[in-house]
Amino acid sequence: MNNKGVMKTAAATLAVAMLLASTACGGEKNDTASSPDASPSGSAAQSTQSGSPSASEAPVEIVVWDYPTDGSAIEVEIPFFERKWKEFESKYPNIKVKHEQIAAGGKDREQYLTAMAGGNGPDAYPANPFPDMEKYIANGFNADLTERWNQYADKDQYSDAVMAAAAKDGKIYGVPHDIYIMAMTYNKKLFKDAGLDPASPPKTWDEFVAAAQKLTNPAKGTYGFNILGMDWADWHFEYWVWAAGGDLTQKNPDGTATLTFTSDAAVKALQLYKDLKWKYKVVQKNVVQSYDENDKDFQTGHAGMIIGSPDGAIKNGVDINDLGVMTLPAGPSGKAYHQTGGAYWSINAHSSPEKQDAAWKYIMFMTSKSYYDDELAFIKESGAFPPLVNPRKDVDPSTVFENIPADMVAAYKQASENLHLEYFLKARLSKYVVTAIQSVLLDEKADPLTELQKQQDLAQKEVIDPYNAEVKK
Amino acid sequence: MQASVVTEAVRAKPARRLHGWWMPIAFLLPSLVSFALFKYYPLFKLFYMSFFAYQVASPPGDFVGFHNYAEFLGTDSFMLALRNTFVFALLFLAMTFWVPIVQALLLGEIGRGNSTFRFLYQIPSIVPYVVTVLIWKWMYNPDFGLLNYYLGKLGLGPYLWLNNIHMTKFAIVLPSLVATQGISILLYYSAIRGIPQDMLEAAKVDGAGPWKRITALLVPNMRFIIFIQFVGFMTGALLIFDPIYVMTQGGPAESTTTVSLHIYNTAFYQYRFGVSAAISVVMFAITGLITYAQLRLSKSADG
Repeated sequence: MNNKGVMKTAAATLAVAMLLASTACGGEKNDTASSPDASPSGSAAQSTQSGSPSASEAPVEIVVWDYPTDGSAIEVEIPFFERKWKEFESKYPNIKVKHEQIAAGGKDREQYLTAMAGGNGPDAYPANPFPDMEKYIANGFNADLTERWNQYADKDQYSDAVMAAAAKDGKIYGVPHDIYIMAMTYNKKLFKDAGLDPASPPKTWDEFVAAAQKLTNPAKGTYGFNILGMDWADWHFEYWVWAAGGDLTQKNPDGTATLTFTSDAAVKALQLYKDLKWKYKVVQKNVVQSYDENDKDFQTGHAGMIIGSPDGAIKNGVDINDLGVMTLPAGPSGKAYHQTGGAYWSINAHSSPEKQDAAWKYIMFMTSKSYYDDELAFIKESGAFPPLVNPRKDVDPSTVFENIPADMVAAYKQASENLHLEYFLKARLSKYVVTAIQSVLLDEKADPLTELQKQQDLAQKEVIDPYNAEVKK
Repeated sequence: MQASVVTEAVRAKPARRLHGWWMPIAFLLPSLVSFALFKYYPLFKLFYMSFFAYQVASPPGDFVGFHNYAEFLGTDSFMLALRNTFVFALLFLAMTFWVPIVQALLLGEIGRGNSTFRFLYQIPSIVPYVVTVLIWKWMYNPDFGLLNYYLGKLGLGPYLWLNNIHMTKFAIVLPSLVATQGISILLYYSAIRGIPQDMLEAAKVDGAGPWKRITALLVPNMRFIIFIQFVGFMTGALLIFDPIYVMTQGGPAESTTTVSLHIYNTAFYQYRFGVSAAISVVMFAITGLITYAQLRLSKSADG
């Protein structure tokens, strides 16, 4: 009988010990984020090398998330990428690069965050959006590149404006991957059908509204302007605030932030949104439909105008001659501003020093002048719509313009004269602005000023006060 | 005769005892381990995280004590999420809790084809709930959805469904009305079948109509099962996430942001993991309190 009792206690202790051991193992894996360094991948790299690696360089494998996402506009460049990746391999035989895909459908940020939190983040990541950089830097995802950058021969090819979002407290955390300028794309065929001149798109808010009204034809199922109302709504809304002469936030000289949701400009812009939906009735019925559905509406000829680039439509077979690009209509301020943004390359701060070195070499290769020149040559041959701006000053995309209608080129050149970065702290304040926008677009009785005030008060208490306190420390 | 049976049994016992005592432990161990790994470890980690300004890439970050709790408890965002959660719980209760009970009661009246109906009721719950939700999301499309199409033929609508701030909560609860509770029906039905038939016959003979039979005989005997289901139901309703995330992600204009979605957004959009953990702990406490209250009420009701 005694034996039985002792055995039972021993079994229970064994069970508990196993539990603790398994949980301890689980915990360790989470904390040592650089454990991918372990030999299995190293020896795999060794065994696949055809020749012997150069004696001085040990083989190293890095993971880069730069394989084109299924359905993205850059899928057309896959043959080009593969050629370049082979070039890199022959230049650095000891570096093996594993290319992985970024998630589609706007899930890329989630995928990246989950990977970084689990210690499985890529060694090099090319898709750090400008507004999200400050969040990533604050959370220690991006390695400090200041020293490498200062020794970089081509660093003067990048303007301060392009590097602004990658810098914090004088340190650099990213290398520009791509930049874009936002303008509006319109359907020339629908313009002609509506009796509008496709060669002279609207230039002011009043002209824009008039054009949208002419383009809206319920019988044919077309509407004038596709509005962005889903949870990225603030991304396009800010442009109208700028055109009205203001912004949503202000960065003070001491680094703190001031909210200007209830400024005259923001209220005027939200009133315009309200009128477009309820007074003029020129937008889609489902204002909160997904980004892809918005694109589909435009590409299937249901929407006359949409903010964005024509490259998606062209990739999906729309004739480039049926499309036009226009600068955003000027608002009460008399001007229109065009958002510039893009993405940075970053190196994982938790990767081993060898992997960080290899990642830097890869990034330098993929952002060199020769790389971009080769890429533009490839795009010109393939007939795809090229990126019309490049982060480097010494790369001129105008060499591929012969394929592109002159009026599109002219529109982008004009847009580039009035550039504007996204509003300060956008990544943290998005949901408040979007809530105000959606309230107005979905409820006819909602008043723009009231909604903006409500969200400003919330954001002030929940985001700005703690943020300013952090900054002042 | 009996003596030899007894001696046989006595002789057989020691052989069983040799590999007897650790068998139950061996069978329980896998579920204990997975419970510990997937339920308890995350729970304790959650408590731990809620006291730090948790840095997800280089845990745990700075220790901040109860600061995370203070940060969100007074905020309007949290209060709104809490309000939405309770509205959802009430909507689910009003629209979906009683459906399996009624279906089971009706099943009890059916003699022929009973097993066919039971089978038919199971089929919707075989489909993963997320798939059902996705299909309904497409049906709700104001321009091309099936619902507006058929309602239009009847001369009704078009309705905005998920686009309408006031209608969207109702639209999210609606699929659960028809789609999910196959197991519950079986549970209630088995409780009804557990009631002795002669009692029902006696009631019929005494002249009790169907409504009287249901309220006086059937439902009181099902009380225990109903209560068990109710506890699980409330917990699930308070923590509702899947249909809202798939259909509206908390929009439009935060009208469907429940506490679980608020927790998700705080962590994955605002990167405030410590605060998110703190909200989770508070939600855990609220749900625990409600469950405890239900258990106490049931105990006192049973006497």
